[in-house]
Amino acid sequence: MLWNVIQFELQYRKGRPATYIYFFILFLMGFLAIAVEEFTVGGGTGQVKENAPRAIAFMMVIMTALPGFLMSSAIMGTPVLRDFEHKTSTLFFTTPISKGTYLWGRFWGAMIVLLFVFSGVLFGLMLGAAMPWLDEDKMLPYNAWHFIQPFLVFVLPNILITGTLFYMGGALSRNLLFVYVQGAMLLVLYLITGDLLNDLDNQRIAAILDPVGINLINLVSRYWTVAEQNSQVFSMTGLVLINRLLWIGISVAVIFLTHYIFNFNIVKRGLWRRKQKEAQQVALPKLIATEINLHFGSKIELQRILHLANLYFKEVIRSIPFLVIASFGIVMTFINGWSFGSMYGTDSYPTTYQVLNVISGFNLFFIILIVFYSGELVWRERDIKMNQIFDALPLPNLSSLLSKFLAFVAIHICLLLVLMLAGIAIQAIHGYFRFELGVYIGNLFTENLAFLILFTLLAFFLQIIANHKYLGHALVVLFFIVTLVMTQVGLEHNMFRFASGSLGQYSDMNTYGHYVPPFSWYQLYWMAFGVILFAVSVSFSVRGVDTMLKKRLQLAKLRFARPLMILTAAGLALFIGSGAYIYYNTNILNTYQNSDEQIDLQVAYEKELKQYEADLQPKIVETYVEVDLYPKKRNFTAKGHYILKNRSGEAIETIMVQEPPHLDNHTDLLDFTYLDSIGGQGVELEKNWEDFGFSIFRLPRPLMPGDSIQMDFVQRYETVGFKESGSNTNVVFNGTFFNNTYFPSIGYNRSVEVGSDSERKDHDLPEKERMRERDDPVGQSITLVGDDGDYIRFETIMSTDPDQIAISPGYLQKEWEENGRRYFHYKMDRPMMNFYSFLSAKYEVMREAWTTPQGESINLEIYYHKGHEFNLDRMMEAMKHSLAYYATHFSPYQYRQMRIMEFPRYATFAQSFANTVPFSEGIGFIMDIGEDDVDIAYYVTAHEMAHQWWGHQVCEAQVKGNAMLSETMSQYSALMVMKEKYPPEKMQKFLKYELDSYLNGRATEQKKEMPLSLVEGQGYIHYRKGSLIMYALQDYISEDSVNTALHRFVTEWAWRQDRFATTDILLGFFRDVTPDSLQYLITDMFETITLFENRTVDATYTEQSDGEYVVNLDISTIKYRADSLGNETEIPIRDWIDVGVFGETESGKDTLLYLQKHRFTANESSLAISVNQEPTRAGIDPINKLIDRNPKDNTRDLKKK
Amino acid sequence: MKLHIENLSQTYPNGVQALKNVSLEIETGMFGLLGPNGAGKSTLMRILATLQMPDSGSITFGEHNVLIDKTEIRQLLGYLPQEFGVYPKIKAISLLDHLAVLKGIGNSSERKNRVEQVLVQTNLWKHRNKRLGGYSGGMRQRFGIAQALLADPKLIIVDEPTAGLDPAERNRFHNMLSELGNNAVVILSTHIVDDVTKLCPDMAIIHEGVIQMTGSPQEAIEALEGNVWQRVIPKQELDKFKQQYQVIGEHLIAGQTQIMILSDFDPGNEFKPKPADLEDVYFSYISHTQQPVLV
Repeated sequence: MLWNVIQFELQYRKGRPATYIYFFILFLMGFLAIAVEEFTVGGGTGQVKENAPRAIAFMMVIMTALPGFLMSSAIMGTPVLRDFEHKTSTLFFTTPISKGTYLWGRFWGAMIVLLFVFSGVLFGLMLGAAMPWLDEDKMLPYNAWHFIQPFLVFVLPNILITGTLFYMGGALSRNLLFVYVQGAMLLVLYLITGDLLNDLDNQRIAAILDPVGINLINLVSRYWTVAEQNSQVFSMTGLVLINRLLWIGISVAVIFLTHYIFNFNIVKRGLWRRKQKEAQQVALPKLIATEINLHFGSKIELQRILHLANLYFKEVIRSIPFLVIASFGIVMTFINGWSFGSMYGTDSYPTTYQVLNVISGFNLFFIILIVFYSGELVWRERDIKMNQIFDALPLPNLSSLLSKFLAFVAIHICLLLVLMLAGIAIQAIHGYFRFELGVYIGNLFTENLAFLILFTLLAFFLQIIANHKYLGHALVVLFFIVTLVMTQVGLEHNMFRFASGSLGQYSDMNTYGHYVPPFSWYQLYWMAFGVILFAVSVSFSVRGVDTMLKKRLQLAKLRFARPLMILTAAGLALFIGSGAYIYYNTNILNTYQNSDEQIDLQVAYEKELKQYEADLQPKIVETYVEVDLYPKKRNFTAKGHYILKNRSGEAIETIMVQEPPHLDNHTDLLDFTYLDSIGGQGVELEKNWEDFGFSIFRLPRPLMPGDSIQMDFVQRYETVGFKESGSNTNVVFNGTFFNNTYFPSIGYNRSVEVGSDSERKDHDLPEKERMRERDDPVGQSITLVGDDGDYIRFETIMSTDPDQIAISPGYLQKEWEENGRRYFHYKMDRPMMNFYSFLSAKYEVMREAWTTPQGESINLEIYYHKGHEFNLDRMMEAMKHSLAYYATHFSPYQYRQMRIMEFPRYATFAQSFANTVPFSEGIGFIMDIGEDDVDIAYYVTAHEMAHQWWGHQVCEAQVKGNAMLSETMSQYSALMVMKEKYPPEKMQKFLKYELDSYLNGRATEQKKEMPLSLVEGQGYIHYRKGSLIMYALQDYISEDSVNTALHRFVTEWAWRQDRFATTDILLGFFRDVTPDSLQYLITDMFETITLFENRTVDATYTEQSDGEYVVNLDISTIKYRADSLGNETEIPIRDWIDVGVFGETESGKDTLLYLQKHRFTANESSLAISVNQEPTRAGIDPINKLIDRNPKDNTRDLKKK
Repeated sequence: MKLHIENLSQTYPNGVQALKNVSLEIETGMFGLLGPNGAGKSTLMRILATLQMPDSGSITFGEHNVLIDKTEIRQLLGYLPQEFGVYPKIKAISLLDHLAVLKGIGNSSERKNRVEQVLVQTNLWKHRNKRLGGYSGGMRQRFGIAQALLADPKLIIVDEPTAGLDPAERNRFHNMLSELGNNAVVILSTHIVDDVTKLCPDMAIIHEGVIQMTGSPQEAIEALEGNVWQRVIPKQELDKFKQQYQVIGEHLIAGQTQIMILSDFDPGNEFKPKPADLEDVYFSYISHTQQPVLV
C-alpha cells in the first residue's frame, strides 16, 4: 500500500517538466562551475585545484543551498498541499488508506524525486571535471570519491533537513507561503551563524547550528593549507559529525511531529477559532430609490487606484507570512547591529553609515518579499477566483496593476521607516545619540527605495510574462543568476546591469561626494526602463480567460492605446535620453574599459616595453612642485620639476618617462634642461607610445656619471562628467589624498605587469616571480618605493580652497591667501624618501608637543574631521610613547614634527610618509574602545610612527623579504609600545587575532607561502605572523637583546643609498644577540615555516601536606616543517617551550602561578610542577607564543587526585 | 439598446469548437440562453462580458463594439460568472462598497444607499456584516447577483445564476431579474428550462456551439403542439423504442420509465398525446446526440 502511494507521487512528478528543469539547472550549474573558467562558484583558486575535495564540497553545498531551498520547497511543500488546492483531499481522505500510509507514501515519493533532482549537482560536477579541455595544471587526478563523499556528508542530510521541514510546513499549514517562510527562517539561521563566525569565541556554536553547511565547511577548513585542501575530505568527525547529527536528529523529530499533528480531516481546525458573528436581525434600512451617477475619468480614476492600492496594502501587511518574514529580517538586523566594523574584537561606534550597512542586510528579505508577494498580488483575484468579476469591472487596464504596484511601494516605504527606527534604536542601545536623519533618509529613500521599486517592477513583469506563479518566482531568481553571469562574460557596463548605479560609500568627511550626479542619472535611466517594463506588463497582463500567447498578443495590441502609448513613449524617450547622457559621460567624456580590456592593455605594455626595463636611467634627487587643487571641481594642476642625476657609472643617452596611469591625469609638458655649465635644451622625443603614456627622449649630449638634468613637467588632473566605474576617490570635495604616483616616473614600470599566474598563462607571458631574489643586485640597488629615486630633496607650494587646509611632507614655510585661495609652502630640510602625498580637507587641528631627551621640542599635530574627536587623546599619547620608546631604543627621530591627517574611508589604512601619516577615518578615529578592548587607535598610530624608522630611516631593497624589515619591525615596535601601557591579557587578545589571521591567510594563499624572511608582499605573513614571531623572539631572547640588534641595524643601515637593506642582514644582527642554545629559533621563525601541535593530554594535581600542590602533566608536542603549499613534515623536537599553571585570584580571575620554559626532546613527556596555591588549569605554551593550529587544547582543567 | 452578435466562432487549443458561427439579435428584456452543459454557453457569456476574445465574429451593443470598446462596455455591464470566489476575510458590505467604487459610483452617500439597496434586494441585509468566508453557497450566489446589479447595468449577463439556490431563493431571484428586464438587456444562460419558461420572452437554444433555434418560447411551444406523445414503457425496452421513435425525453414516474416522443401523427402503440411545453422544445433540438437531462 505504501509503495502504491509512493508510486503515485513518482508518477505525478514524472509527468511534470519542473522535475527535469530542476535537475537540469543543478546539473548545469555543477558542470559549468568546474568545466568553464568564467563561471566560478567558490571553486579552487591559485594553487588549490579546481577539483580539490574541499573545493568540490564547498561548491556542492553552495549550489544546493539557496536554489536547493527553492526546489526543495516546491517539491516537498506541495504533495499534501496539492490535495487541498485541487480539492482532491476529499477523495483521498475517504479511501481506506491509513494516515501514515498517505502521509509517508507522499513523503518518500517526493523525497526520491528530490534526491534525483539534487543528484544533478553530483553528476554535473563529475562530468564537468572530466572535460578534456580542462587545464591539467589546475586539476588533480580524477577521483570519484571526492565527489560522492561530500554528497553523502552534506547534500544528503541537507535534503533530509529541508525536505522534512518543508513537508511538515506544507502538510500542516496547507499554505505554500508558510513553506517559504520556513525557507526564510533557515536562511536567517544560516546568515546568523555566518555572522557569529567572525567572533572567535562563538565559532563552534556557529558551525554546529549552521543548517546548510557553508559556515561549517568554512570553519572546519579555515586553516587548511593548499596541500590539505587538495587532499583532505571532510570526514564525519568533530564539528562535522555534531552538526550533521544535530540536523538529522531534528529531521527525525520533525517526521514524528508531523505524523502526530497531521489531521486526516478535510476541515482544518485553526489554532484560534474565530467566533462567527451571528446574523444580525436589524431593521431594514429605509431605501431611497436615488439615481446612481457613474463617474469615470482621470480625476476619479486616481481615487479608485488609491482605493484599490489601500486594499492590497492592508491585505499584504496583515498576512502572516509577511509579518513573519519582515519580523525575522528586523530581528536579524538587531542581531547584526550587535557589533560594528570589528577589528581585533574592538567595535567601531555605530555611526549612521555603519548602521545603514547593517540595515542593508535586510535587502535579502526585501527580495524574498518582492519575489513572493509580486506573485501573490498579480494572482490575487485569480487565486480567490474573483477574477471574472474583477476583470469585467470598468477599470482601465492600467489601474489594476498600478494599484498593486503602489501598494507594494507603500509596503517598501513602511518597512524602510521601520528599519530606520530600528537603526536609531540600535544606535541608542549602544549609547550613541548622533542620529543623522539626513543620512538615513538620504540612503534608504533614494538608493534603497529605487532598487526596491525597480525590482518590484521587474518581478511584476516576469510574473505577468510567465503567467504562472511558481515559474514567475523561478524567473526572478534566474534573473539574478543571469545578471551575475553577464558580468562574468564582460557585459559589465552599468548600463547593462539592471538597477545599477550606487551612491557609493558614505564618508563623514566627504558625505556622498561626487557620486550623486551619476547615481541620479542611472536612477533616471532605470526608472525609465521600469516605466517601459510596466507598460509592457500592463499590455500583457491577463484579463479575462485568454491565456494563449496568440490571444495575449492580440489583446496587447488592442490595449496599447493612448495612455499606454504615451507612457511608453515617455519612458522610451527618457530611457534613451538618459542612456545617451550616461554613455556620453562614461564612454565619450571618459574612457570605458572592461576588465578584460584593462588586462589586455597591461599585457601589451609588458610585451612592448619590457625590453627597456634593464636600461640605466638617472635617479630623481629633487622634486619641486606647485600643486593647485580645486576640490569643488575635483581638478588639480601640478607644475614642477625633478632633478635627475646619473648615479650609475655609465653615460646615459636616453631618458624614458612614464606618464601616470590615471585616466583623468594628463601630462601637458615634459621638458629637459641641462644643469651643467654648458646648459641648453634640445632634448628630443625619440619615440612615444600613446596608449601606454610612455616616451623615450634622446639626449643630444649623454648624461655623464654624476651629472644632473632638470625635467620640467606639468600635470593636469581634470574630472569631466562621470565614469562607469572606478570613480576616483583620491581627488574629492573634502578629503583629497593623492601621492606622487600622480606624477611622471622614470623608466619602465614593473608594477603595471599582470601578476596572476593564470592570466599570464592565458596571454602567453612567462611565469613571473612576485619579487626579485634577495641577492639580486638590481633589487638591492632600488628601494621599496620604486627604481626612479630613493632619497630626494623636497619642496612644494600647495593651494586649495580657503576653507581647507593643504598638507604635504616637509615643514610649513609660509601660509597666505591670494585671489581667494589658500597657499601653503612646505619644504623638507633633509633628504627624504621619494614618496610623498598631498592632502586637503576642512580640518580641525589638535596640537601638542613632545620633548626629546636632548631637550628639543617635537610638534605633534592631528588634523581631524569635526566630530571625530573620540580617540584623539589615544593617538596623541601613542605618538608620544612611540617617539619615546623608539628614540630611546633604536635611534633619534629624524624630524622636528609629526602630523596625522584624517582622510575619507574610501580606503581603510594609515600610511607613513616623511613627518606625515594620512590615517583613514574608517579605522581608529571612530573605534569605540572599551575597557577590555584592544586599543586600535593606539596600535595603528604606534605602527605608523615606527615606519619613520623602519622604511624611512632604514630603507629596504626591493627584494624578497623586504616587508619584514618595514612592516614586521613596525609591528614589533608597536607591540613593545603597547606592552608598556597595556596588561598581558590585552596583548594575548591581540596576538590571538594575529594567529587567526595568519592561519586564515595561509589557507587562502594563491601561490606559495614563504618563510618570513623571504616574504613576498604577503600581509598575513609580514604583519600577522610577524607579530607572533617577534613577540615570541623577544620573549625568548629578551626585549633588550632584540632592541640592541635593531639599534645596531639602524646605526649601520640608516640613510644608505649605495645598497639597501635585506633580511639576511637583519637576521645577522638577531643571531648576534641570540645565545647558541636558541639559535634554532631564528631558523624556525624566520627562515622556515614551522608549526607546533602542542597538547596537554592529561592534567592532574595532588595537594601535599605542606600546603604545596604538585601538578602532573602528560604533554604531547609535535613540531612540523611546512613547504610552500602546506605539506607538513614532522621534525624532531629539541625545543624550549613554556609550561604554565593557572590559579585563581581572590576575585576569581585567572592568574599564572607558574610559567617556565622547559626543554622538550620527545613527542610525549610527563612533568611534575610544584605550586603554592590551588591550581585550576595547566599545560604547554599556555599563552600561545608558538604557532599552533589548535591553540585551545594547549591547556586543560586540572583534576584533583 | 440592442445586442447584435454576428458569426461568432471560437475553437479551443484542444480542438473543441465551442462556438460555430453564432449570430443573435437581442433586444432589451430578458433573453434566455438554454443549452446543456458544455454547449458553449459560458464561452459566449464570457465573450459578451469582455473576458474572452473570439477567433472571429463581431458583437455590438448599441454603438459600441464589444470586442474593442471594452472599457465602455464594462461601464454598462453587470456580470455574474458561473463560478467565482470572494475575499474570505472581508465583510459583504465592505466588498460591495469596494466594488461600487470600482464600478464608478464615486459619491459616497449614493454608494452607501445603493449598496444597502442591493443587499436588501438580495436578502443579504442581515448577513451584511458577516465575513464572506462564512457564507453558504446560496448566500454567496446572492452576493454575486448583488455585485452584478450594483451600478445599474444596461447589459446584464448572468451565467447559470440559479444553480445552488433553493426554490425560495430561486423565486426571489426570478422576480428580481424580471424587474431588470424593463430597461436593460438581460442574458440568462442556464440549462434549467424552467428558468426560461418563467422569465424570458425571447430565447435561444445552443447545442454543440451551434444556435439551434431562436425566438419566443411561446411560439416554439405552439409549433410543437400536437406532436408530443408519451407512454410508460418497460425499462428494458428503452433501446427498442429509441430505434423506433424520435425519443426526446425519458423520466421516471413512480419508478417506471415514461418516454416522450415527437411525431407528426398518432404513433399508436399506447402513446398518448401530451401538451407541449418548453422542455419538449428544448429536447427536440438537442436529443439527437444528447441523452436528455431532466430536472
